Amino acid sequence: MTRRPAGRPLVPAYLSTGGVARPSRPHLERLSVLARSGEPPPAGLPAAELALLDTLEDGSLAVVEAAALLRLPVSAVRVLAADLVDRDLVLARAPIPPAERYDPDLLKRVADGLRALKLRP
Amino acid sequence: MIEVPDLVAGALAAGTLSAFALGGGLVRSRRRQHRQLAEIAALRTRLDGTARAFTAEVEHLAARRVPAAARQVAHPHLSVPGPLQPLTVGTPLGIALENVVLALQSEAAAQRTRIDAAAQAGMRGAVREIQAALYRLQDALRGLQQRYDEPELAQTLFRLDHENEQSLRRAQVAAVVCGAWVGLAREESHLVDAVTGGQARLAGYHRVQVHNHLEPGTALVSHAVEPVAVIVAELLDNALRHSAPDTEVVVSLEHVHHGVCVTVDDAGLGMTLDERDRAQRLVAGDDPILLTDLGDPPRMGLAAIGRLTRQFDLSVDVSSASPYGGVRAVLRVDSHLLSRLDPADRPPAASAPRTTRTSRRTAPGRPAAPVPAHAPAHAYGPDAGAPEAPPGHQEPQEDADGLPQRRRRTRAAAPAPAQAPAPGAARRPEEAAAALGALQSGTAAARAAARQPGESVRPDAAADDFDQYDDTDQIHDEGGAAR
Repeated sequence: MTRRPAGRPLVPAYLSTGGVARPSRPHLERLSVLARSGEPPPAGLPAAELALLDTLEDGSLAVVEAAALLRLPVSAVRVLAADLVDRDLVLARAPIPPAERYDPDLLKRVADGLRALKLRP
Repeated sequence: MIEVPDLVAGALAAGTLSAFALGGGLVRSRRRQHRQLAEIAALRTRLDGTARAFTAEVEHLAARRVPAAARQVAHPHLSVPGPLQPLTVGTPLGIALENVVLALQSEAAAQRTRIDAAAQAGMRGAVREIQAALYRLQDALRGLQQRYDEPELAQTLFRLDHENEQSLRRAQVAAVVCGAWVGLAREESHLVDAVTGGQARLAGYHRVQVHNHLEPGTALVSHAVEPVAVIVAELLDNALRHSAPDTEVVVSLEHVHHGVCVTVDDAGLGMTLDERDRAQRLVAGDDPILLTDLGDPPRMGLAAIGRLTRQFDLSVDVSSASPYGGVRAVLRVDSHLLSRLDPADRPPAASAPRTTRTSRRTAPGRPAAPVPAHAPAHAYGPDAGAPEAPPGHQEPQEDADGLPQRRRRTRAAAPAPAQAPAPGAARRPEEAAAALGALQSGTAAARAAARQPGESVRPDAAADDFDQYDDTDQIHDEGGAAR
């Protein structure tokens, strides 16, 4: 179990991306799922990207989960993940959309119809 | 009547004799008087000469020697002129004048120290407040960074955080120079984290290359963390400042016989012999620090390093030249300031450079963490669950916030051999999952039955749901054997 350090982090988040917070690809969201593509990481990859690849070693993770494990803000992980996707080291999948809510209007019309049927005889 | 002339002759003779005698005496006394007059005149001229010389000496003392002596207190390389008349050296006058100079110098030095101490106290108070305010700002910025991830906003927050780190560094260094504590208590941390943290406090941190050759888990004891970060930041700042913007500053972390060395090499101009001597004297921290010695604007970096090396028993050497042409600064951390952290339990920060040494871990991937000693966080299951936890499985454990944290199973393929449980006490993950699943479906059935007669929601239902969620999760993780 990784113990979360109690104090103020020594290494600020901006160092992980070299101060960049704009990801190279905009479509990564908080719940996008990241998985390793299986390509071996090239030499000279920044330390934070290697760390992200390590967290994906055991399976796929959502962006927020990776951020929590790396103790980095989501914005930084998005930059790192976007770079790794650009290098074909990581595959990103769009988040699974939450189930649609029923349209209350439709429900109301159906209920009205049923009530009308019930009243007719 | 013969006797009268005799008498007269006798009297005359006596008179003549006495007249001669008197005349001789008179002449002698006149001569002596002359001599005395001459002597007095000579003495008077000598006295005049001496008085003039004395006046001139004192005037020289006031006009030249005293100011020079006062200046020498602040600038020891200046020389104090000697007395006007070289002959006075060693005479009582010369010694008395020398004492005047010495007394003045000692009083001036004491006064200078007093004034400087007052200035340091004033500055310490002001800077302390600023430092505390900047830490609060840092907390606010980091909170915002966690909460908002819109790229433009995040970019601004990163920039503000970096600016804040730089201001914080300046305030902290000024406080340390003025004799204050570093201002922040940290817990035991990886040495590479302290170095990377120091690097992040600089404007040109992109130019710094850190090569980590340390054994994984090499850490600093808590009270040495912040001082090492401050010293590394100041050494790096010097290196960045005195090298061309297109060159890199290379940091390497290595084990030496008595501890760890952090070497900072720059490819700049280097220092002259004088500068190097001065720098070495400052970082050694042996001389008391006076703000007035640090120049205007005060160059505080080396002085702060001096204070910290002295306080924390670290050692810094800046006396050698770098093979890259610039300066090589070496910070040595002795082994009594080092400790070890389990990299699996407390990994270094994500942005900290990897060690070039291969880990001594036996299992690939993340090894199973030591089983927590406290009771399991979930609501049901055997009480002795903790020791029976299967290898590779991690109990949900409460972190510092008191919230349970969900963990993935590490790959079951490679349980750490050292952690293999004793036969008999062990259960395979699937068995454990099946048992938990059976228990869960049992309690769920009972709960459903109990809920039937009227009572819809119990007050602690939410808490139960949470636990349930937690356990269901584990069951998914265990491979869904329960369904």
